[in-house]
Amino acid sequence: MNFDLDMPAWKWPFYVAKHPFEGFDDLRWKKAYSMRVAWVIVIAFFLISVAKAQLTGFLFNDTYVKVFNIVPYFSSSVILFITWVVGNWSLCTLFDGEGTMKNIFCVSAYALVPYLITQIICIIASNFLLRTESGFMFFFEYLGLAWSVVLMISAMKTVHQYSIPKTLAAMFFTVVAMAIILFLAVLLLTLFQQVFVFGYSIYTELLYRFSI
Amino acid sequence: MRFIKKLTAFICVAAVAASSLVVNASADEPYIGYNYDWWGDPIPSQNGFVVEDVISGAEMGAVTLAEPNDLFVHNETGKFYIVDTKNNRLVITDESFNPDNIKIIDTLTYSDIFTEADSKIKKTTFNVPMGVYVRTDKDGHTLIYVADSANERVVAFNEDLEIEMEYVRPSSDVYDAQVTYNPNKVIVDSAFNVYVVVPSITQGTVQFSADGTFNGYYGANRVNATAEVIAQQFWKLIYTREQIIAMRRNVSIEISNVDIDEEGFIYTVTETRTSDTDILKKLNPAGTNIFTNLGYDQYTYGDYATRYYKGKNYANAICDVDIDEEGNIYLLDFATGRVFQYTNECDLLFIFGGKGTQKGTFTSVSAVESYKGKVYVLDSRKNSITIFGQTEFGGIVQNAIYLFNEGLYDEAKGPWEEVLRRDANYWLAYIGLGNAYLNQGDYATALDYFYRNSRAGYNRAFKSYRIEVIRANFTWVMTVVLVLVLALIIISYVRKSMAKKKGKKTGGTN
Repeated sequence: MNFDLDMPAWKWPFYVAKHPFEGFDDLRWKKAYSMRVAWVIVIAFFLISVAKAQLTGFLFNDTYVKVFNIVPYFSSSVILFITWVVGNWSLCTLFDGEGTMKNIFCVSAYALVPYLITQIICIIASNFLLRTESGFMFFFEYLGLAWSVVLMISAMKTVHQYSIPKTLAAMFFTVVAMAIILFLAVLLLTLFQQVFVFGYSIYTELLYRFSI
Repeated sequence: MRFIKKLTAFICVAAVAASSLVVNASADEPYIGYNYDWWGDPIPSQNGFVVEDVISGAEMGAVTLAEPNDLFVHNETGKFYIVDTKNNRLVITDESFNPDNIKIIDTLTYSDIFTEADSKIKKTTFNVPMGVYVRTDKDGHTLIYVADSANERVVAFNEDLEIEMEYVRPSSDVYDAQVTYNPNKVIVDSAFNVYVVVPSITQGTVQFSADGTFNGYYGANRVNATAEVIAQQFWKLIYTREQIIAMRRNVSIEISNVDIDEEGFIYTVTETRTSDTDILKKLNPAGTNIFTNLGYDQYTYGDYATRYYKGKNYANAICDVDIDEEGNIYLLDFATGRVFQYTNECDLLFIFGGKGTQKGTFTSVSAVESYKGKVYVLDSRKNSITIFGQTEFGGIVQNAIYLFNEGLYDEAKGPWEEVLRRDANYWLAYIGLGNAYLNQGDYATALDYFYRNSRAGYNRAFKSYRIEVIRANFTWVMTVVLVLVLALIIISYVRKSMAKKKGKKTGGTN
């Protein structure tokens, strides 16, 4: 057993992935949260989701390539992740969670690592596999997803010092909170758009009025 | 200068003259030729069929047709049978639609077998006839079957207009007494089994054997698995018997039309508009659908886009199907008045027709038939037959498909390339060329043609391509891998032994 935890910051995500149960405890103990590493992971998440759409082999690729819009990929990776962090923080601060925003951001990003690695494997494999061999790919895909979910539960449990049932409940309500945040964001955007249109129409009216 | 002016003037005139010489065939049609690409997007295409003529009842010598509901072309004799529903008659003519060749049938006589039993009735007439089918046996004896809707019978008579058999409502112990029996369409297989489409029957077509005995139902549709149906399945687990009986019953949608091909496969279509289950079925003798979307097959029929109105999706209303001698499938869409031509594998070839009042468009289509490369569409409100002829482009496509089906893949390459020269968006040409290269063993080129055109083809080509690449590179790749593995083992061994030596030197601290 190697108990030497004085490793560089970039090694920590792999360490917690290999030690799903005590990894986050060690991370918490060593206070080895690194925002820089976390941001790299989040950006990798975004890049991989784009790569999945663009580089997956033709046999497994359902992306509509005639129009490529990067905004949906950005919002379904980076914005979704930030919403998760914000939602989780706002919920858990009210319910005795110990994690700060920075902690939550870091551990959530670290928990994504197995999912991202298996996604890369799938993207590469999809260019070499036949349709009948898709089982291998999907096995890896689900394995990575399941691993990341386990890591996320472990991360949330450790960072807030919750019991398992409380962690699961917190995660469920985080999803609800995310839905509310996104709803409010869309509402705000629409209202601002209306305000803008209102202002703009007054501007044009005035323009007509004084142009003579 | 003057010379240059003259020259430019001459060139301009020549250019104008030349441009007026270019005939744009598709511009004459009242519909725009289009096709679908791999993404399911409609893209403009050249017309495969153009209007040749429109024949009204008067032109063929039958005064006026009134709501004609079915058209049948007998391939062996070349006779056209038109069911003139409102006039309660059957009009027989031929390809030329010459008034001299017309024969109108409105009265039939019972042959001797019937008159003995019921001597009072010697003659009979049609009452709202809806469908017709004709079959000649190997002795050359022709029987005409008419679905005589309001008379609740399918009547089979010979060319002397003598009734030989009546297929009437089956006895009530096998056929629900509360369900009406108004035959709408009829087909007959080579063993002279009769399949009757009855609009009130949802269990399939009503099948009779040649002697008139009821054999049961054939080719039922499945129930479309909507959310409501799934919810009902759940409630059925909980409800009592009485509650289940009181529930709304889910039945499949009735078949609207049938046809039979030369090999004896029966095709059914369902005019549903609100569901996409079993729009077209190709049934084998066991009654199993061959065109299922199980596995990797993706059969689509009619237009892809659906319209949404008041909580329901409205799609095509495929009201007739026809199979020509080459096995091409024609579907007629009542909603848009379009004819969709497919290959025998159900790949879309051409779309033509439409709604409107011009030549080549329709108000209320009722039947489609094909004969000798031409397509005949019957309109029950315009009371006319529209004849579509194949264009040069359509002919090239047809030829390429014919060659491919015959297994002449290399020969099919030329026509397919010609198709692409004329219409680079023609999806099927890429698949055809891909198949040609695949059969030649040129897998890399086949992959290029199949890419974003056909997953099934790509999969097949890729399988062979992968084996080829592995075979070509196996030796050196494996050599490199083995050398690397060996190197790694040696390095780790050396490292370990060095670490041991180090440990011995510094040992004794633990």
